[in-house]
Amino acid sequence: MNLYLLGPELSLIGLAFLVILVDLATHNKNVVAALAGIGLVVPAAWAVSLWGQTASSFYGALVVDSYSIFFKLLFIAAAALVILMSVQYSKRFAPYQGEYYAVILLATAGMMFMASTQELISIYISLELASISLYVLASFLKDAKSSEAGIKYLLLGAVSSAVLLYGMALLYGATGSTKLNEIAQAIQESMQRDQGAVLPAIVLGAIFMAGGFGFKIAAVPFQMWAPDVYEGAPTPITGFLTGASKAAGFAVILRVFFVALGNQAPLPVDWPALFAVLSALTMTVGNLSAIPQANIKRMLAYSSIAHAGFILVGVAAFSSQGVGGVAYYLLGYMFTSMGAFAAIVAISERLGSDQIADYSGLARRAPLLALILAICLISLIGLPPTVGFVAKIYVFWAALQQGLLWLVLFGVLNSVISAYYYLRVVKAMYLGAPASEEPLPVSRTLVVALAVAVIAVLAIGIFPQPWLDFGTGAAIVLIP
Amino acid sequence: MLSSFGYVGILAIVALLFPIGAIITFLLANYLLKLRRPNPAKLTTYECGMDPIGDSWIRFNTRYYLFALLFVVFDVEAVLLYPWAVAYRRLGLYAFVEMAIFIGILLIGYLYAWNKKALEWK
Repeated sequence: MNLYLLGPELSLIGLAFLVILVDLATHNKNVVAALAGIGLVVPAAWAVSLWGQTASSFYGALVVDSYSIFFKLLFIAAAALVILMSVQYSKRFAPYQGEYYAVILLATAGMMFMASTQELISIYISLELASISLYVLASFLKDAKSSEAGIKYLLLGAVSSAVLLYGMALLYGATGSTKLNEIAQAIQESMQRDQGAVLPAIVLGAIFMAGGFGFKIAAVPFQMWAPDVYEGAPTPITGFLTGASKAAGFAVILRVFFVALGNQAPLPVDWPALFAVLSALTMTVGNLSAIPQANIKRMLAYSSIAHAGFILVGVAAFSSQGVGGVAYYLLGYMFTSMGAFAAIVAISERLGSDQIADYSGLARRAPLLALILAICLISLIGLPPTVGFVAKIYVFWAALQQGLLWLVLFGVLNSVISAYYYLRVVKAMYLGAPASEEPLPVSRTLVVALAVAVIAVLAIGIFPQPWLDFGTGAAIVLIP
Repeated sequence: MLSSFGYVGILAIVALLFPIGAIITFLLANYLLKLRRPNPAKLTTYECGMDPIGDSWIRFNTRYYLFALLFVVFDVEAVLLYPWAVAYRRLGLYAFVEMAIFIGILLIGYLYAWNKKALEWK
């Protein structure tokens, strides 16, 4: 048991407790936000210092490898952006700001555990730590919509957890181990013994687990919760859900399916095909449902469903390029959606509305803000010179290498469809007539969040190579 | 392949039938075996031995809920402290530090509840 390896998570949990204590002692809630934000340096630095190591702790339940560190840094960056976005926003639930930041940190810790577990029970517990924190955060506004978001997320999340647990139980029953590498070995041995026959419990277990994780990443047909939750939740938390929670789901999916069910000579379950079908369904349903939306948060909720579909293309490719593409895509998508939601927070602070119709003529009232939102939307479409373009090229290329031409055609077609509803917002901002000429000031912390996000979107898009290497370095752990 | 899916089907059927069958059996056994000697005292609602006051379908103060939550926290703490105390000599320093962390975390919760006035009945 090497606690040093768990330093990033443990220091983050310690920070969360410290935030709660400081919140009790002070009335100046900006101090609490600053502590939560600046304190993130400790787990981030710790995670960086562990880069390059491969070691496991707690009898192999938790591992530190380049894959888990990649995702840990991604989640910490997401948490930092959410905290920056929340400084102004959290005045809406003034007496509970300390709890808000502490719960964000705990959710981040849960996601970080998710990225580094390779054992079914710890996967489940870390997933619950992240999920329960997010249920609380989704209902923080306490108005009708936010409460609806919280309760819907809680109930559907509980159902999906049950499905996931059932899948895990079947897999454990069939193989006699909860550790992913031992599961892989047990399946391999039983297949050799029975001339390639696979226990049906393994097939069912894999399908149930795909369903349970599919809920986390909002893949069709498990996406029903996403629009209502994303619309009702506080806007920074919506960004957190799209950017970080989805990445955590993908981190677990990749690890579970590649390590436990992907190391046998003929695959025991043809899950790449399963994910290919889910991917095609997810992007189509997400994109088509996004078209008629009038509320920008709801539109971006459907867009995030569609993006789950695009990312699943990389999972379905089942290759090291595919995993590298997924990691790079998740990194880029995190910054893009955080940037978009930061812009929405800034706009709704002054406008008091999330309706696309009210964005009319925004370019004249807040030119920089409109430009940043436009860049993020262009990245979501997947046009150069943004990160969305390179990410899409990379996952599509990985799929082509595996002969998934039909899926790539689906993806390209969907990207074209998606351009319509993203550009509708850009059109409203630049060509619409403004309701008034009064400029929209933006608070300082939000400016920082917006700047970081948009610089990342452009920098990772224009100089993709180091980031692709970063992602591929993470991928190598799963596919030798 | 198909026959082995049958096992899963049997498992599902058993999983459904077992609880339903158990419920029906117990209700039936209870109905057949129970003694019926009602008297007024027996038919009243049990409320700590007192004569019940009013209906139970009233609005409770939410503070009961807060107190119950806090009670559960310390209840669990006590449950874990007993075996720890019994085996303390064998567990040594490591377990002491672990328990100190555990109590420390609960203490933060207690401080939080105190500070947020969850312990005041007002």
